[in-house]
Amino acid sequence: MSNVTHQFAGYTAVEDVSLSVSQGRFVSVVGPSGCGKSTVLSIAAGLLAPTSGSVDVLGNRLEGINRRAAYMFQQDALLPWKTVLANITLGLEFRGMAVEAARGPALEWVRRAGLEGFENHYPHQLSGGMRKRVAMAQTWIVDPDIVLMDEPFGALDVHTRLRMESEILGLWSGSGKTVLFVTHDLEEAVALSDEVVVLSAGPASRVVGSYAVDLPRPRNLIDIRTDPEFNRIYTAIWRHLRTEVLKSYAS
Amino acid sequence: MILWQGLLGAAFLLFWQAGASLGILDKFFFSRPGDIAARVWQLFAAGTVWSHLAVTLLEAALSFGIGVASGILAGFVLARNHFLAALFDPYIRVANALPRVVLAPIFLLWFGLGIWSKVALGVTVVFFIVFFNTFQGVREVDPVIVNNARMLGATERQLIRHVLIPSALTWIFSSLHISIGFAIIAVVVGEYLGASRGIGYLIAQAEGVFDTTGVFAGMAILAAVVLLVGWGVDRLERALLRWKPRAAASREVA
Repeated sequence: MSNVTHQFAGYTAVEDVSLSVSQGRFVSVVGPSGCGKSTVLSIAAGLLAPTSGSVDVLGNRLEGINRRAAYMFQQDALLPWKTVLANITLGLEFRGMAVEAARGPALEWVRRAGLEGFENHYPHQLSGGMRKRVAMAQTWIVDPDIVLMDEPFGALDVHTRLRMESEILGLWSGSGKTVLFVTHDLEEAVALSDEVVVLSAGPASRVVGSYAVDLPRPRNLIDIRTDPEFNRIYTAIWRHLRTEVLKSYAS
Repeated sequence: MILWQGLLGAAFLLFWQAGASLGILDKFFFSRPGDIAARVWQLFAAGTVWSHLAVTLLEAALSFGIGVASGILAGFVLARNHFLAALFDPYIRVANALPRVVLAPIFLLWFGLGIWSKVALGVTVVFFIVFFNTFQGVREVDPVIVNNARMLGATERQLIRHVLIPSALTWIFSSLHISIGFAIIAVVVGEYLGASRGIGYLIAQAEGVFDTTGVFAGMAILAAVVLLVGWGVDRLERALLRWKPRAAASREVA
């Protein structure tokens, strides 16, 4: 994969953002609330067309939906009228696979997401954490080259969140997939990523810093938060992010 | 609850019957529930009512079917195409504001005394109810779910089939409840204004000879039919909207 470059010169949300993510890296974007993190992600997904500037995915100019990418949404995005199994099968079905043929891989993902016994439940019958597992299976089953995640665990309680983070890391390790992860939680960003990108306070936010996180992998998310090296990196980024957060308070 | 509902109805009929028998209500204008029931029984026993009922139901079914199909189609097309929606908007408002009853004489002239003038009248009523609900239903689809489906690779057709139709179904169903009643009303009005068959024709005939019992008997038969059909729609809805949490489903459709 060549580089993904997002250049977006807009009038409000984000201005002149350039960002390149190399293949196989886990990169997080952090910034104060309302700084346009989600906008950056939507542009990378092709759901939003940039007012100016362009996006390149694996050497090709992006036009329309980014077919190499999957997207995990912040909100509940499951189809409420489809069962767990049907929701997970959807991506394969859309790619022209017969429903019967897609059943095998879908059941495999039901197992990997720990949803056995819930195949025929509807989303409203599940807990928030289980719905996220379905969403995870739904996005990863299509085997995307790029996974875009927009605060996917924001609405979960701390413990469920920790488990989901570990599972995402487990899925990603060794998969060679590129992850662009948006969060407002710097701890989460440092714990998961190879690199943390800081966006300035909005409107018209820009990339104001990029920090490498060279903690060894595989990482133990339960213990990593007390690691001195983790704290050194966290503090360095926080010093920077703090000024942006204060600016967003001021405006 | 059903018990209380039954009691209320029984009390109402009892007061009516007593009032008419005691002379408080004029029997000539109000008839009596007992007489009406006897007349309904007579009509069915003699078998004459069946052919009228069949005609009315056929007309209602045709206007319902044509109205629903065209309403859903038009609702989808306009909801997905902002240019067309804006273009047609004032004309749809004007057409919908027109009282349908005034169309009945025109339809009689155009389509004759047979069933098609009534079907046309019914369609003009059903179409708009279904159209507005479908339009709204498609417009109000959760954009996050649409984006999710698009990211998962849905084509426009798959989007319509897997996201837009199921999402609009709740809205469409709530319109079906109303429009099925209106379809029957519209065709009966059409029959009433000029026909040679149908329940509306029976009512008009009875009215012509000041036979209030006959008028009420026709109304009772219609009410029973509407209730029965509504129950059928309820069952269908429950089967198709299985995915909805119970409370939310009944709230939205109420």
